[in-house]
Amino acid sequence: MYVYIYDNFLRQKNFLSTIHSMEVILTDYGIAGKILRLQNYTDSKAVIEDEIKRGAKTIVIVGNDATFGQILSRSATCDCAFGFLPVGPNNTIAEVLGIPVGVPACTVLSRRRKEFLDVGWMNNRYFVSQLRVMPAKLEVIYDERFKVTAVDKMEVIVCNLQPFFWKRDKKDREQRVVHPQDGKLEAFIRPLTKSGWWGYNYEEPSIFPFEEMIITGKEPFAVEADGKLSKEIKVKIKLAHSKVEMIVGRDRKF
Amino acid sequence: MIFQRPVPKIAEENNEPEVSERSHQHVQDEVETVVGPSVNVEGDFASEGNIVVKGTVSGSVFTSKHLTVEMGAKIFANVRAGSATIAGEVRGSMKIKESLELVSTSRVVGDIDVKNLKIESGALIYGKITMPGIEVGEKSVKTKTFRKAEDAAPQFAG
Repeated sequence: MYVYIYDNFLRQKNFLSTIHSMEVILTDYGIAGKILRLQNYTDSKAVIEDEIKRGAKTIVIVGNDATFGQILSRSATCDCAFGFLPVGPNNTIAEVLGIPVGVPACTVLSRRRKEFLDVGWMNNRYFVSQLRVMPAKLEVIYDERFKVTAVDKMEVIVCNLQPFFWKRDKKDREQRVVHPQDGKLEAFIRPLTKSGWWGYNYEEPSIFPFEEMIITGKEPFAVEADGKLSKEIKVKIKLAHSKVEMIVGRDRKF
Repeated sequence: MIFQRPVPKIAEENNEPEVSERSHQHVQDEVETVVGPSVNVEGDFASEGNIVVKGTVSGSVFTSKHLTVEMGAKIFANVRAGSATIAGEVRGSMKIKESLELVSTSRVVGDIDVKNLKIESGALIYGKITMPGIEVGEKSVKTKTFRKAEDAAPQFAG
């Protein structure tokens, strides 16, 4: 049995026709199912576990990168397969999973090509797409072997499924991409140096693939994991292998 | 992010995920580790892929693939690599499996053990160079050793 979790933004008029077409195709394929709508304060884990008890075998996330992160960061441990129907803008994870945006995604879902995905683990919760530590005075220890420091503040971005797009500076026209790699998390460190009275300039970045990383700061620093912001003084980031069973497309990037 | 053969999920929520055996079977990746120019790395710095050093590294450096030390970069460590191109400064012994290229701006203080060596004019070396594949005298020594005379200038150019 399939259960579809729709993001709240799909209520907007401009997505109605896409959603309607998708529902028609899913019915044609015989994989239509119960539809739930995600609200701001919905606990996706409780909802999914409830549906699993009622016999759901596949949970399909309908929305964008934010929806995907919001649901999977809470429900990575649920015992079911996950599908993804990307709709609308901000869908970079779909490309990595080999799922086309919009109506063609239904065909990928119907084929049920399943893979086990690794997820990142941070302190006491999972993250699927990306983790970002806002610029602060930090010390990073990789795999308990070596320590990375910078003279002043630094920003740390850890990519799991979501690629990271960045530019060297404001004048840089070329958009650079860090693609997530197989079997490892990718840490992207950008030190900042003081420029003038107020400003900071980003220095050339460092890239470290890793499996375990500890970030410590003398003062609490802000961490954003899958769009959820928190303040931490110490963050332990790990790679949790084979956590999520996911329906993926043939053109996946891994 | 990765795909693997199906394994039943046994980990409970909020339990720290165990690093599986698979994690030690490192994937043959083309991952490039980059140490940026304003970053300091201390400790045993190891990578399965290529390493590019633009900043400072102290401790030890190990890679089975290629190591690039760019101009202005400093390594205060013993280095073991598959192959290397040095344009910066290295203080410590270097054991390179295949080929080592010392660019004109490079400065190496330490012993070098390498199979193929290429030195550009202007490169500075202070140390012993050992290369396998040659027998000296009666002893069946499989290495040829260049030892710098104590009174000679600490520079080999050309």
